[in-house]
Amino acid sequence: MAKTPGTLEELKTRFGPHLNYNPPGGWEKGSGETPEKLVKTHCCFCGQQCGIQLKVRGNRVTGFEPWEDFPFNRGMLCPKGVKRYLQGSHPDRLLHPLMRTDSGFRAAEWGEALDFTARRLRELQDNYGKDSVAVYGGASLTTEKAYLLGKFARVGLGTRHIDYNGRLCMVSAGTAYKGALGVDRAPNPWSDIAAAEVLMAIGANVGECAPITTDYIWRARDQGARLIVADPRFTPIARNSDLYLPVRPGTDLALLMGILHVIIRDKLTDAAFIEAHTTGFERTAESVGPWNPRRAAEVSGVAPEAIEKAAHMVGESRRAMILHARGLEHQSKGVENCEAVIAIALATGNIGREGAGPVMITGQGNGQGGREHGQKCDQLPGQRSLTDPAARQHVADVWGISPDDLPAPGYSAVEIMNAIHRGEIKGLLSICFNPLVSLPDADFTREALEKLEFFAVIDFFLSETAAHADVVLAGSLQEEEEGVTANVEARVIHIQKAVDPPGNARRDSEIICELAGRLGRGRYFPFREPREIFEELRRASQGGVADYHGITYEKIDRQKGVFWPCPTLDHPGTPRLFEDGRFFHADGKAHFMSLAWRDSGDPVDQDFPIYLTTGRVVSQYLSGTQTRRIGALVDQYPEPKLEIHPRLAAQHGIAPGDWVTVVSRRTEITLQAMVVRTIRPDTVFIPYHWPGSRSANRLTHRTLDPRSKIPEYKVSACRLQKAKAPGD
Amino acid sequence: MSWFRKPSSTPLWRDEFPVFTADERYVSRRQFTKFLTLTSFSMMVGNLWILARSTLRRPATWPRVPVAAAGEIPVGGVRTFNYPAADDPCILVRTSAEEYVAYSQKCTHLSCAVYYEKAQNRLECPCHRGFFSIEDGSVLEGPPQRALPRVALEKTDGQLVAIRMEGGLV
Amino acid sequence: MFGMEFYVDPSRCIGCQSCLKACEECDTHRGVSMINFDFIDREATIATAAYVCWHCDDPTCAQVCPADAIKKYDDGIVGSSLKPRCIGCSNCVLACPFGIPKLVPQYEQMMKCDMCYDRTSVGKRPMCATVCPSQALAYVTPETIAATRREKPVNTFWFGNQKITTKVYMMAPAGTPEIAIDVADYIWEGDHELVPQAF
Repeated sequence: MAKTPGTLEELKTRFGPHLNYNPPGGWEKGSGETPEKLVKTHCCFCGQQCGIQLKVRGNRVTGFEPWEDFPFNRGMLCPKGVKRYLQGSHPDRLLHPLMRTDSGFRAAEWGEALDFTARRLRELQDNYGKDSVAVYGGASLTTEKAYLLGKFARVGLGTRHIDYNGRLCMVSAGTAYKGALGVDRAPNPWSDIAAAEVLMAIGANVGECAPITTDYIWRARDQGARLIVADPRFTPIARNSDLYLPVRPGTDLALLMGILHVIIRDKLTDAAFIEAHTTGFERTAESVGPWNPRRAAEVSGVAPEAIEKAAHMVGESRRAMILHARGLEHQSKGVENCEAVIAIALATGNIGREGAGPVMITGQGNGQGGREHGQKCDQLPGQRSLTDPAARQHVADVWGISPDDLPAPGYSAVEIMNAIHRGEIKGLLSICFNPLVSLPDADFTREALEKLEFFAVIDFFLSETAAHADVVLAGSLQEEEEGVTANVEARVIHIQKAVDPPGNARRDSEIICELAGRLGRGRYFPFREPREIFEELRRASQGGVADYHGITYEKIDRQKGVFWPCPTLDHPGTPRLFEDGRFFHADGKAHFMSLAWRDSGDPVDQDFPIYLTTGRVVSQYLSGTQTRRIGALVDQYPEPKLEIHPRLAAQHGIAPGDWVTVVSRRTEITLQAMVVRTIRPDTVFIPYHWPGSRSANRLTHRTLDPRSKIPEYKVSACRLQKAKAPGD
Repeated sequence: MSWFRKPSSTPLWRDEFPVFTADERYVSRRQFTKFLTLTSFSMMVGNLWILARSTLRRPATWPRVPVAAAGEIPVGGVRTFNYPAADDPCILVRTSAEEYVAYSQKCTHLSCAVYYEKAQNRLECPCHRGFFSIEDGSVLEGPPQRALPRVALEKTDGQLVAIRMEGGLV
Repeated sequence: MFGMEFYVDPSRCIGCQSCLKACEECDTHRGVSMINFDFIDREATIATAAYVCWHCDDPTCAQVCPADAIKKYDDGIVGSSLKPRCIGCSNCVLACPFGIPKLVPQYEQMMKCDMCYDRTSVGKRPMCATVCPSQALAYVTPETIAATRREKPVNTFWFGNQKITTKVYMMAPAGTPEIAIDVADYIWEGDHELVPQAF
């Protein structure tokens, strides 16, 4: 079973998280010595994928040096990137496979661990059917590994259930962009942001979640651009905004429809563009017809005058860009929200030119690449659909199987966990995912994990989720395996291998291929190096929307990245999409959508009158498995705090630093209050990077956007009560 | 001390402990050590230069200098001459009817002129009472540390000719 | 140095503290971060500011040091305290009008930013300005600043009657020749020579 072996305290003592403050060898010696080599590579954390050089000495990463020549970030880094190297040589690092016993984990040899894993997965499939096991992947995996995992699930295991933690990230934007424009990618290179006249950041805490993008925005402002920020909180970039819109959580759609209403009403649309390049505008116009500024204001909490002003700023400019991130997308209307953004861009002709376009800000390191080549439950390589017969034929040919052997689409990430909870899925293989911290309704997730009959995890630290596993296979850090990723602007870049995995840890792709071999499917996984996987990926993606056929490692190094689509070797790549006015649908046009308002899935009411929104802090990354082990980053923001406005705090008699119990329809947690005026008085905020009793996701709910299946993290309902300090 | 310093409104300690490294007058330990090392090194170089010059000054071929006719000097008699150059004093002694010896006359101690003491049958230096053997010029007594360089002689056609100097630095 | 100067623009700061993290990674003072970082008033605002040492032309810290431990080098950088000389008296900590030097208890030494001297003395850029994602800390040529920013660099500050000129520039609105923060510095007191042109 998948309860944790031993107590949590025992596991923590042995596996951490322990804080690593010092480079290998200490600050004085060792790391201060001249490195043997400087490896030009990229950050392992967010989608900005900043260029960085790693100092290597004696097969250990000892420090970093800025890489000023990489054009995206030009040497700039956020604190996570600066300190990432402290993950190597970390005391918590898993150096060999672990197998569960009654009293804790014991070290095991690879042969035993892999054989056991393959055997148990086979047994479950033999007894309960192919779809009784599922695979979880992640968007920090290199594109090669994401591709490999998709193939492994379908060809190695033959299950239809594979999905990834990007389901919690980009799927709302992806569905919207795919549906409206025919392709799931930010259409503009990041350099366009610095060339815009009007920038709107909605649901995007750029300063804390995509820090390097700040410089692009500031440079635009240096040229006279104006900035609109829409967020329930006054985030760091809002301090330089020309217009701040304090949108109520979950009501961004009302705001956006109000803006579009004014744009249409005041004839700020680009009628020629709409006519020539789009279809369905009438649908959208009809949708926003009732959403005059007054109505939009009543729902969103943004003043009507501000909505008018925002509409005019955007509508009167032909170089307007709307940046959006999870604040907009982590809603049960996440897809609609993005469709509304795209509608504003299309209606004003602000797309396909320098400084003009909607901008989805991919959050995870390889969120872009990881959502292109089959790691998603309904996807085949090249951003192809698993239900498209032509796509199935092409990929089956590359893989050397019959298209009939390819399964149908399966469950998405949260749906997989639901299926585990009800006993339909009995086995799980997971890599690069910590669902116990990152899925909503954490108590439900724990119950589900404890019901699994077999659970195997590939990881480099023992995450909170991995503590429930039967087998933990010691995998590799990003700097221990070569590959490519795609950054926020779909620039495919080269991750260099800097060091070998330490101890008896192995490269992730090696582990997956070994497993496939033990499942008797080794001939489909003959890869010895990531380069070989990439070669197959090039063929598998060829002709698809995300066409990597013309990309090679050497070309990436020469050009400092290649923007896909890149269909042939002599094609330079495509930094900006839609420059010729053609969109990726068969009719070449962009499609406007109907927009329909509905309430959030966990609405506020008498018992739960306060909006709860969750998010991030700049010093932590996702579930914190990596960053909660780096001392300097934990010191920057050690414990999750409840951000609460003084007015709301006064109503509850809460003073700064007081302990507060936050109660949602799921359960309650107790945190210290941080009383700040930089948040709506009807809203509280909790960062989610911590597990257990401090986990914000114990409060969130499992309502999904019906089309993207993304959970609605950004709006839940809660109530507050002042508390004593927690016992634990 | 103050009468060596120009009159100034800034106090002495500001002059002596300036904040700007460009204004520092006092030598740092590093600079002093550098100076010592360089000076010592250049002295060594100088000495090596002198040594090299001396070594190279040795004539490639020894000159042949006639000293005296064979019978000119009585037994126990002395003739001074210069060999190999005009400023290298040497001394010839007829020790028996058939035997002649010659040495550099510069005492190896401090270069006083040695003379032949017939009674003792040895070469003596009056300056500090150094005594050299007449047989091979080795030091018998006294402060000299090295034997007298010996001048090799050849008897040719009744002439005694100095042909080579042995055992000297020159 | 090598044509580049240091420019500080606190209005761009997003409070990420990348500068603090990178500072301790340079080779001059490994493990000790020398950035002065503040949350201005977190209850009221998300505004933050990060500062480096201003490397004053006539450094107050050096002038008040009783141990002659602080030197200003030919290229204008004011060094951190010289290890063999500093006695940890905190004169400089108290005297600096910008509040930059810190007494580090574990070493009983004053330590402060030395503009990553191991990097800037050979033409590389200091760590903080290289990594700053908002370029609130910037190390570029004066031509670049003039071409890309609307604010203007200012390096003259008034603290009461003390005029301080620095090597590091503060970005200020165009038309601000000097920066004074004491209202008394703006008052006209007749033709008194000590009244600065702070308007």
